[in-house]
Amino acid sequence: MKVMAGLLLMVAAALVQVTWAAQLEIAGAFANLVLIAVMGLTWTQGVRAGLLWACVGGILLDLNAPGPLGPHSLALLAGAYATGFWARNLDRESPFHPAAAAVVSTILYSLVLIGADDALGLPIPPLRTALQLTFAACLYNAVLMPPALMALRRVTGGLHWDQTAA
Amino acid sequence: MESTARPRSTGRFLVLAAAMLALAVLSQQSWAAGFRGTAKSALAPIEAQMMSLATAAEHATAVFGDIASLRDQNQRLNAENQALRRQLAELNAAAYDNNELRKALDFQRSFGHRTVVAQVVGRGPDAFSRTLQIDRGSDDGLQAGMVVVSGAGLIGRVRETGPHGAIVQTLADPQSRANVFLSGSGLQGTVIGGPGALQVQIQHHVGLVPTKGEWAITSGVGGGYPRGLVVGMVVNVTHSDAATVDAALVDWVNDPATLSLVIVVTDFTPS
Repeated sequence: MKVMAGLLLMVAAALVQVTWAAQLEIAGAFANLVLIAVMGLTWTQGVRAGLLWACVGGILLDLNAPGPLGPHSLALLAGAYATGFWARNLDRESPFHPAAAAVVSTILYSLVLIGADDALGLPIPPLRTALQLTFAACLYNAVLMPPALMALRRVTGGLHWDQTAA
Repeated sequence: MESTARPRSTGRFLVLAAAMLALAVLSQQSWAAGFRGTAKSALAPIEAQMMSLATAAEHATAVFGDIASLRDQNQRLNAENQALRRQLAELNAAAYDNNELRKALDFQRSFGHRTVVAQVVGRGPDAFSRTLQIDRGSDDGLQAGMVVVSGAGLIGRVRETGPHGAIVQTLADPQSRANVFLSGSGLQGTVIGGPGALQVQIQHHVGLVPTKGEWAITSGVGGGYPRGLVVGMVVNVTHSDAATVDAALVDWVNDPATLSLVIVVTDFTPS
């Protein structure tokens, strides 16, 4: 049940991200719903669960991106790990921390994604463009993360999900 | 408890990262291209449904009764406007160039090339790669490198194909490059993709300065794109006598966020 619900969430987030999200573009960036979902699951279910969902979500994104399968998973893994570290060591109830964690995770996500593409010999965007897009994505994800986490907490609370070992 | 949990999650992170890196390296190999293409095609039907749902939802949520019909009318007028702009660009280009060039531009007008029409079923998952996923693939004769256009002008090129789907790298992708000439001055330049308006670097030519309102049209130089495809209108020019190139911004004739149908030119082979 828990796995099915998580899978459904990841598939829905990935599909919305690759179909609708681009229509809500601001300053060249749009919401990374899969990263937000992975962060939310990491926050509510623990870092070990979050890492697994990062792999699933990453593969779904890679299926819609040019190039090999794996770079988005790597980028999401970095985001999930940073979120887990954040959630474990700081006040979990404050709305500031999810937003700040979203900023940090988005930066890590972008760095790892571009780094992986570079290492695999794939084309990467110019530095200035990458910085501009990362900055805009940080703001976008930081705004979305607190309400998304609140919604996810309600859903997981309603489903009586227990947090896995963190 | 805390001290044992952290190394365990770090260990899992490292194992999964290594596994994903290995998957990336393996799936990049040429022998895995078929599997990769098939896997990427798998989501296309669901995405097509999602795009249809999005369109339906847009219509359903129209608060005022006339909004949907006005939007349709607006889209039709926009399409007509784009076609007129394209014709204007072609006329400008024809005035600049000779008869032979006009024959080349006929490609744009009559599409004397073999084409395949495809539906856009998805878009790139992040802003670093501005791509479109379409519902036609190698089974429909599509190959990587083929040029993709719309009624308004150039969109980009096919980057990867699967049996029933393909990924198109648009001109807005930061890695995209297209050689163009300007319809008024005839200056040559290179369009570079990026967020917002497309940028074009224009080579200096004594006595000629690019001006706003000129059309950027593919020059065919380099063989990446056929000559005569409309890219967009120059909206801003930064000229400096000291610089070796001028910079300009081009208002792209296509908006990838609203594209729903594209045309793939199947009989042009980039050199």
